Amino acid sequence: MSDIRTIRFTLNGTKVSKVVEAHETVVDVLTRKFDLSGTRESCRQGLCGCCTIYVDSNPVSSCLMLAWFLDGTDVRTIEGLADGDTLDPVQEAFIEAGAFQCGFCTSGFIMMVKHLLSENPDPSDEEIRHRLAGNLCRCSAYPEIMDAVKIAAAKARSVAKARP
Amino acid sequence: MEVAGLRGFDIVEPSSLEEAFGLLGTGDPAVRPMGGGTALMLMMKSELFKPTRLVSLRKLGEPFHGLGESADGKWVRIGALNTFSMLDHSPLMKSHFPIISRTMNTLANLRVRNVASVGGNLAHGDPHLDLPPVWMALDGEVRIVGPSGERVSAVADLYKGYYETTLEEGELITELRVPVKPDWKSSYTKVTTRAAHDWPAIGLAISVQLSGRQIQDLRIVLSAALDKPTRLTAAETVLRGRDIGEALLREAADAATEEVELETDNRGSQEYKTHLLRIYVTRALQDLVSEAAPK
Ligand SMILES: Cc1cc2nc3c(=O)[nH]c(=O)nc-3n(C[C@H](O)[C@H](O)[C@H](O)COP(=O)(O)OP(=O)(O)OC[C@H]3O[C@@H](n4cnc5c(N)ncnc54)[C@H](O)[C@@H]3O)c2cc1C
Ligand code: FES
Ligand code: FES
Repeated sequence: MSDIRTIRFTLNGTKVSKVVEAHETVVDVLTRKFDLSGTRESCRQGLCGCCTIYVDSNPVSSCLMLAWFLDGTDVRTIEGLADGDTLDPVQEAFIEAGAFQCGFCTSGFIMMVKHLLSENPDPSDEEIRHRLAGNLCRCSAYPEIMDAVKIAAAKARSVAKARP
Repeated sequence: MEVAGLRGFDIVEPSSLEEAFGLLGTGDPAVRPMGGGTALMLMMKSELFKPTRLVSLRKLGEPFHGLGESADGKWVRIGALNTFSMLDHSPLMKSHFPIISRTMNTLANLRVRNVASVGGNLAHGDPHLDLPPVWMALDGEVRIVGPSGERVSAVADLYKGYYETTLEEGELITELRVPVKPDWKSSYTKVTTRAAHDWPAIGLAISVQLSGRQIQDLRIVLSAALDKPTRLTAAETVLRGRDIGEALLREAADAATEEVELETDNRGSQEYKTHLLRIYVTRALQDLVSEAAPK
């Protein structure tokens, strides 16, 4: 029987391996064993989005997933969005719009927004609100977050246009 | 954070059914199969469930995967490990069962839909879930495999009571089959009373076969306010074979509210939910008829 194993997966573009126990959640392992503190745990039940990461390009709540099942996957966290010192346009947009106070929820919102814009480069207010209904901001920076999404969408579109 | 429900268990990932049955058939109720794991994780974190072993189904291969039409085009087969997002993105589902994408719109959030599986959702037995009543209204069936062989069950027959299913120890749902009925229309109404993303106070799945304004045949399934999703057969009988009109709708709503005794909870009293049922059964039928046969 097995309550401990070595998992091998890709983390922000780098191949990694780690010994994990059966009960460890993904957010626990990222924070404690990989020192990646951008993925946060708040509600612990899939509702707030603070712990959002991508597994094989799909956003998931890392509080609801056991680290065991990361074996063989491709994981991206907020730490993997910037390109060296150059922030992702969505990150820049959140700063420009001042879309946070304490910042606890911010990485989760940024991850969800980046994914939304990759599917839908020009979302309506309704589409943005609908997609972000599963993310909670206790400081209630919602109006600024809406602004940030629009700034990010405009940035992404202008980058797309500039490409040959 | 340390949680007692998340302590002291094994995870196994069998790659054949025989191996899975061997691992599941221990007589220990703390040994459970795991699909997407979203419901199990919530139960483990709230210490409603303390596993000794989780048997992941994800390596079981073909019988649990895939989504496609039968050769004769009469059925759609949905492997139990399809996630909600896979259904939501499937062009086949969109063309045959547009009700599913519409239901997904108000179901959980994208992160949960990316993980939660069709089979786990069917086997969970929580009467508040949105999809079981929909599959019932569509006449869905599940294929179940177990140590003593294989059987097929109507989705309706999966449920015995509150969180109670008819699945025996070691039995696994491998797939859902839904008949394609081009001349039927269906809708699901999730009636929430506190916040748009709350669990429903009542859920109402209806499918109808219409000829003009006449109801040839129909299914009405009520969920959330009862211990399991339930067909409202008295209301169906009132409506079957008749022309939709105000008097008939009133008669049907009377039958619907008389045939079930709804439960009071923090989403509303029995009286309030009965009132909601009356209103929403009428509205949903009117909408389905006017969509199909505009006046
Ligand atoms: C934040 C959040 C919001 C949610 N909102 C909604 C909502 O709005 N509407 C809604 O309907 N639901 C909602 N849900 C519930 C969600 O639909 C269920 O958690 C999910 O469907 C369960 O699927 P799973 O694959 O994760 O199941 P699991 O957790 O893997 O399993 C659930 C149960 O089924 C058993 N099981 C799993 N697979 C099989 C199988 N193939 N054969 C036999 N038994 C099996 C398990 O042993 C367990 O008892 C929400 C959940 C979360 C976390
Ligand atoms: S901590 Fe995971 S969704 Fe809230
Ligand atoms: S900025 Fe504080 S929770 Fe959102």
